Amino acid sequence: MRAQFRSRIRFVLALIVLAALLILVRLYFVQIVHGGDYALKADRQFASGGSGLFDRGSIYFTGKDGTNISAATLATGFLVAINPQTLADPEAAYAAIAAVASTTVSHDAFIAAAAKKNLVYVEVAQHVPDAVGQMLAAENIPGVQVLRERWRYYPGGTLASQSIGIVSYGSGDALTGQTGLEAEYDATLSRSGDSLYKNFFAELFSNVGNLLVNAKDAREGSVVTTIEPDVQARLEHDLAAVNQQYSSKESGGIIMDPATGAIVALASYPDYDANDLQNVDPSLLGNPLVEQVHEFGSIMKPLTMSSGLDAGAITTRSTFDDPGCITVNTMRICDWDFKPKGVIGVKQIILQSLNVGASWVATQLGQDKFRSYFTSFFGQKTGIDLPNEGHALLGNLATTQQVNFDDMSFGQGIAVTPVQMIRALGAVANGGRMVEPHLVSAIRLDSGITRTLDWSKTTRVFSATAARETTQMMTEMFDTKLENGRAIIPTMSVAAKTGTAQLTDGHGGYYTNRFFHSFVGFFPSYSPRFIILLYTDDPQHVEYASETLDTTFLDLTHFLIDYYQIPPDRGFATSTPA
Amino acid sequence: MRNLRLPFSFSIVSLLSGAVGVLAVSYIGLIAVVMSYAALTVEFSQSVKNDEAAVAVLEGQYLTSVSNIQDLDYRTVGYAAPIAQIFVPATSMTALR
Repeated sequence: MRAQFRSRIRFVLALIVLAALLILVRLYFVQIVHGGDYALKADRQFASGGSGLFDRGSIYFTGKDGTNISAATLATGFLVAINPQTLADPEAAYAAIAAVASTTVSHDAFIAAAAKKNLVYVEVAQHVPDAVGQMLAAENIPGVQVLRERWRYYPGGTLASQSIGIVSYGSGDALTGQTGLEAEYDATLSRSGDSLYKNFFAELFSNVGNLLVNAKDAREGSVVTTIEPDVQARLEHDLAAVNQQYSSKESGGIIMDPATGAIVALASYPDYDANDLQNVDPSLLGNPLVEQVHEFGSIMKPLTMSSGLDAGAITTRSTFDDPGCITVNTMRICDWDFKPKGVIGVKQIILQSLNVGASWVATQLGQDKFRSYFTSFFGQKTGIDLPNEGHALLGNLATTQQVNFDDMSFGQGIAVTPVQMIRALGAVANGGRMVEPHLVSAIRLDSGITRTLDWSKTTRVFSATAARETTQMMTEMFDTKLENGRAIIPTMSVAAKTGTAQLTDGHGGYYTNRFFHSFVGFFPSYSPRFIILLYTDDPQHVEYASETLDTTFLDLTHFLIDYYQIPPDRGFATSTPA
Repeated sequence: MRNLRLPFSFSIVSLLSGAVGVLAVSYIGLIAVVMSYAALTVEFSQSVKNDEAAVAVLEGQYLTSVSNIQDLDYRTVGYAAPIAQIFVPATSMTALR
């Protein structure tokens, strides 16, 4: 009896062991051998056309209170496809779809697709909103499939579009970042798409290394920018206004913290809506503030002045004789008014924007030192985190003709990008140190860790004393010259300089009636929170930057003082607006 | 080995067989847990993405309103330019006198 019972027990146990082994083998094949196939099969139940749902990290603006607001994110909705082989009534189906989905293909295209009976899948509407898609799915139209879809969405539309960039199909079959931050941080933003199918046991068998330290977790995430949406919107609004008022070819501007290089706003006009790229001029997809070079004109003078002061070639008490025009290497260089000023102090070079005075400083400095200073300003890329950064055109630095150095001293014959220009001028605001301009402050990894990017590297290009002395001249210019002294802000020191450059005619010369206007300023002068660089290219029927950009600069300055509640840095007074 | 005796009333074969059975059942249970976890992960992930998309729509409205405010002429909605501006005394360390 006992032996019989024992043999039965053994028989049952053997059956259990056999069953367990069979299950183990089956699970091995299901999970590991055919795991990928099942993952794909599951994907198809959620997504369209055999591919997984599009996934990508977000890009965030950062509000002044530190709040993150999406600049680029994902929208969720549906796409509508038809199966021509099972679509019974194309007209009725089209009517039902077109009634709710605004992105449906045209009637003719729909009917033509429905007639292709050799096909089983034709997409007829994309980016259908969630509610509309669910409503359409509920109608259960034979031959019509309503499938989940995700796509890139830019909540700001045109807001910072050239900086944020776009995603599209490049040379491959995957959506990747093509311009702007989308391209620069594509490795961080792109997703491999298999993270949802991670199985501890399968990983244990197949890839124990990844289970412990996953490289994707250290790479994939979202990007947090330094762009402040309200400031960006204000800058874009003001640039659009000035561009339209003067029918300029293009206008641009950058607002940056000169101490850290954090760019708060960066815009050019015209721009584009990243959500609607169908009719966009491809030339607008790049970022002219980073890619294009310009001769900026007289806003170069503060750099010439700082160089001269730093080298000891001049002091703030130096004087020079300004005849109004001089001839150098047979070329004539004149002040804007062609009038002789006699013997005057060097600060008049900034206050009255004197080309002859800037040329005199360049001569005092000498070609070797001038070359050294300007190479340190513009000889390298800024390293800004945007793609396709342009090189400055510094060919004249390699020559020995003094007239070339004189031209460069007041911003002609030297072409640099706006980002290079604000970086160099930022050194005047930042005690002689150039910073690294940047748009991204941190990467928020999917693992939950936030990795702050290090942009702390600075380069000293001239002394703090030289920077301060130049700042004093620029501040006096703002207080006494801009709008004939009416622009002065009683409680805030502002340092500024205007620039008007003649445009090149493409044949080695310059137009006499076509100009490039620029404007730079920072405040408070001696502990600046912001530096603003503005330009407008080829404005019509106006000659000087003080006429086109001073209103824009003042609007932005007052806006930033109010918006950030920047405390006064000098005496108080009561004033009554005009 | 043949003479090995355990101080139990059942053999080592039975013990191991039982252990294998328990492990097999446990494994099946864990597989069920993992599959449920994966399903929930997919569901939650989808839910999070849907919520993010809904937030993005609201963010779009916010950013549109920000742009509209920039375009707004305050005089058209009844505001007037201030009669006077009074500035507070400066206490900044960097004040210029």
